[in-house]
Amino acid sequence: MSDVDHPEARDLPEATAAQVATDLPEAVGRRLKSGAWSSGLSVADFAACVSMGLRPLALVQGFCAMQWSAYAMSGGSPWGSRPTAGSPQGAGAPYASAGSGSGYNETWPCPHGIASIEHRWGGNYEQPWAEHAWSQGFGSAYTRMVEEAQEAGAHGIIDVVDTSRYLSEQSVIEFHVTGTAVAVEDSPAPPAPWSTYLAGQRLAKLFEAGFVPVSVAAAMSSVLMWPNCQTEYLLRGTGGWGYSYGGEIEQVINADTAVRRLARAAVRSQLGSDTLHGARFAVTRHTGNMGGHVVECTLRGTRVRRFKDFDPIPAARPTVRLS
Amino acid sequence: MSTEAVPAAGGSGGDLRAEVRRGVSALGQVPASGRGTTSDLSIDEALLLHSVGWEPVELVTGVSMASVPWGVWSWGQGEIGAASAAHATAMRGASERLTEECDRAGGHGVVGVRVAVSVYPNHVDVELVGSAVRPVGKKGHPPGRPFVSDLSGRDFCLLRRAGWEPLGLAFGASFVYAPRRSARTVLGQAGQNVELTNFTEAMYQARELAMERMQKAALDIGAGGVVAVVMSQGPMAFATHAIGFTAWGTAVQCGPEGHRHLEPEMVVPLDDAVVAFEAESLRGQSSRGRSSNAR
Amino acid sequence: MTEAADLPEATRHRLEELEHGLFTSDLSVNEFLLVKHAGFHPLGFVMGSSIYHTGIQTRRWGKSQELTKLTEAMYNARELAMTRMEEEAQELGADGVVGVRLDVNYYEWGRDAAEFIALGTAVKAEDGTSYLNAQGKPFTSDLSGQDFWTLMQTGHVPQALVLGTCVFHIAHRGLAQTLGTVGQNVELPNFTQALYEARELAMTRMQDEANRLGATGIVGVRLEEKSHQWGSHTIEFLAIGTAVTKGTGAATLPVPTTIISLDN
Repeated sequence: MSDVDHPEARDLPEATAAQVATDLPEAVGRRLKSGAWSSGLSVADFAACVSMGLRPLALVQGFCAMQWSAYAMSGGSPWGSRPTAGSPQGAGAPYASAGSGSGYNETWPCPHGIASIEHRWGGNYEQPWAEHAWSQGFGSAYTRMVEEAQEAGAHGIIDVVDTSRYLSEQSVIEFHVTGTAVAVEDSPAPPAPWSTYLAGQRLAKLFEAGFVPVSVAAAMSSVLMWPNCQTEYLLRGTGGWGYSYGGEIEQVINADTAVRRLARAAVRSQLGSDTLHGARFAVTRHTGNMGGHVVECTLRGTRVRRFKDFDPIPAARPTVRLS
Repeated sequence: MSTEAVPAAGGSGGDLRAEVRRGVSALGQVPASGRGTTSDLSIDEALLLHSVGWEPVELVTGVSMASVPWGVWSWGQGEIGAASAAHATAMRGASERLTEECDRAGGHGVVGVRVAVSVYPNHVDVELVGSAVRPVGKKGHPPGRPFVSDLSGRDFCLLRRAGWEPLGLAFGASFVYAPRRSARTVLGQAGQNVELTNFTEAMYQARELAMERMQKAALDIGAGGVVAVVMSQGPMAFATHAIGFTAWGTAVQCGPEGHRHLEPEMVVPLDDAVVAFEAESLRGQSSRGRSSNAR
Repeated sequence: MTEAADLPEATRHRLEELEHGLFTSDLSVNEFLLVKHAGFHPLGFVMGSSIYHTGIQTRRWGKSQELTKLTEAMYNARELAMTRMEEEAQELGADGVVGVRLDVNYYEWGRDAAEFIALGTAVKAEDGTSYLNAQGKPFTSDLSGQDFWTLMQTGHVPQALVLGTCVFHIAHRGLAQTLGTVGQNVELPNFTQALYEARELAMTRMQDEANRLGATGIVGVRLEEKSHQWGSHTIEFLAIGTAVTKGTGAATLPVPTTIISLDN
């Protein structure tokens, strides 16, 4: 491993960069300077790397634990501040915060028009503070992984795996992002390492098809739903007078639909004119800290860019295997 | 590692390393303008789509939740109408929202739809996720109604090459009460191994109902057939005497030129990992090839 | 052989719709295209089922024997299900049924009873040739679309799904016997004999069915062993395969290409 000067975190949004520049554990330096490389690649994936001219350098990881409620109550602006476009890869850093400026809000009045304990209004509210906290957590973990990769002299990071886990009582979440840092042989280092969830043959096909990975793209959106009386009744199966069964429970549908659209819009804002490949929604639900139902949606994928004009493949030959 | 076997993608001529270097160097340049696409297709699917002249546009989704009144799951007779109706409403609602999103994104249809249905005591939830696609470069409003299909991108291309078009998802479901109390009495008294005709009839009824609803849905959109039907049945986890039957598949229609035969060739792969004869292989193994249904 | 019971009312309605030109099938797209290429068009999804009581048979603890009543019951139940499926196929005017799946379902509310289901896709030859089997009924086979296509290329045609079943009770070993062989490597003649016999019975019966149809051979034979709901000393041995005969067409089997697949 060559002695690489710790590069300035010049292309990363200011707030996070300053925060992470010097806070990697000391053990990282020791591990990355050792002679042998480590990687999370399977044998097949490693072979594919060799055929692509990618040399694995080190298994790199980034970690961040965020506490939710403290953040929300700390008085920070609930709308957060979106990191500005500044990376050479184009519009949006890899982990721009979710949540449009205006936020998604919908009130659900009691349709019965009766004021009583059993009848109440409800609403669906986007929770930008949660979304911002998620971006910060994911962003920090991701940035630290990139830091480690740059220490190792990487050109890119493949086979990225990111997990998030609730640690205790849903108020602390840890983000863990790992990947394998690689160098492209006979090639100068790009300004900042590219990254992708792909590895192995799938990555090779991506290049052959004319796409280059730019970075992983991920965003989370969160909507808190306070059911109005009608929704409550429907969810419990007791219905409400004047309402027929078997109909759609609109408030929940709106919340679910909104949360997915928000996640998608947030990821789109990171793409610019690039393409999101291999996108996946992951939706979870839990009860809100102060009641209500919270539905959260994470969208992840690899942001890729076309680097050559598309060459359509010849029609594939259909075959029948005898085996 | 040689590059013989199935045709390589992209026509790169074989020098993968050069392509990688070229791609990575392009990262430093100013990117093109325009709106990117999002999709959950794999690269293989995206390439196959391009080979028939289509491209992905947007990742789209549709969800719905329909209510089921309290108490329908306890003992009764015949069909549990409320549950069947809720299932139908939820599927239809989700399908419509998916189609709307596809329309808004400028797609002509959605492929690779993953269907997730959950039945709870008080509601039926449906989530559909897929990729909206359109013929390459055809911007603007699509003609007619977008199609929805749970076929993978690969199956979609195969069908198109054979001259067939997907029209939409056809689904049908029915929920029935199992003849519970009477079963025990009847069984206790039966001294022989015989068919239990009442029960047979009840289960038949339920299954046929689900299938028929699916067929009707296909006929309603003017389809010629339904392929890759997925049938499932089973008792509800929260009420084991209530049994649900569901069936769905992609409704298709043959184009004006009729069916076009694809000429398959036979291959013998030489990388079979099974070396020795195993007695296990004779036991209980299905010989059905369903690989194309798995995404 | 049991007689075919009348098809339930609900079925007739569904089949009518199929006869008007709509087809349904659970064939995957691959299978659909290959079945078309073999010269057949799918007509519709057909199924037959029967809920059968399968619990009654006295057995002696210490004797290994076939439980003939249970054998008969398992056989009859499957035959009922398959016959109904064939009837549906006949209603549609099919030449045969491919991709037949035989399933057994148990329900909590029905101990000692099981539901036997036969499902498949009915197909018809597009050029009008009749492929009805030696008994004048649509052929049935559990071959997948791919296997069906390959079989047709060899110049053979399916006749019927043939099965042979045998429900066997394995004697429990007495305490004295067990203690006598503790710590030794020894063949257990009871078990060996019993299981051997049972398997042979199942396979012979399957073969007999094929002979009755005048078949040349049986392909895709599967041996299944299940205890269903009877406990571990009672096992059903089921041998199942597709009986075939040489067709009138010549074999059109092309020379296969050898490939090395790069996916793992």
